[in-house]
Amino acid sequence: MADRRYETLVLLHPDLGEPGAKELAERVKKLIEDQGGTVGQMQDWGLRELAYLIAKQRRAFYVLFEYRSSSKALLEIERNLKLMDRVLRFVSVRQAENAPPTPPRPAAARRPEREEPEFEGAAEFEGLNEEVS
Amino acid sequence: MAERERGERRGKGEGRFRRRGMGRRKVCRFCADKTMLIDYKDSRVLGTFLSERGKIIPSRITGNCARHQRHLTLAIKRARTVALLPFTAAYP
Repeated sequence: MADRRYETLVLLHPDLGEPGAKELAERVKKLIEDQGGTVGQMQDWGLRELAYLIAKQRRAFYVLFEYRSSSKALLEIERNLKLMDRVLRFVSVRQAENAPPTPPRPAAARRPEREEPEFEGAAEFEGLNEEVS
Repeated sequence: MAERERGERRGKGEGRFRRRGMGRRKVCRFCADKTMLIDYKDSRVLGTFLSERGKIIPSRITGNCARHQRHLTLAIKRARTVALLPFTAAYP
């Protein structure tokens, strides 16, 4: 079976602390490799604010894995991730073969998340509904 | 936040997306800029397509083409599962 390109974004429990999160990330990496995957890159986004509470936590460590593996291996990887109780959540996505690898993101530069430019149409959103329906 | 919405709400048809008469036609931002990729990890871009309450803004407002709107909604939903984007307005 042909190997496919996947990427998995994993959220780790903030109580692990920086070293604990690193260690668990390594374990996830090893898990992928044990399943016959080859990890292209492992990206540490650091402790980030969550958009909503997960397991009563406001933040989590984000780690992104880019790898190649068989689809069977992916299922096994996901099954194991579900068993790890320090993994709050994850999402796996298949990547196009020609897609560029995710550029590294400096964790610090992404901090000021609050000041997002608001979409121009947002204010008109409510009003427009009446017109259409 | 609520006052803002009410305050900025314009009269019917006054918006710039109105088609009748001399309306300005909005083009899909992702078609206009081919280098702009829809990625669920890019919460900054995706966030601009959410309303203040965290709802996805329909394409008839944003002017996105059907194809890109489809990719966009999928990306937003993925971003929501990993808490990069909210399902609803932020908690107090």
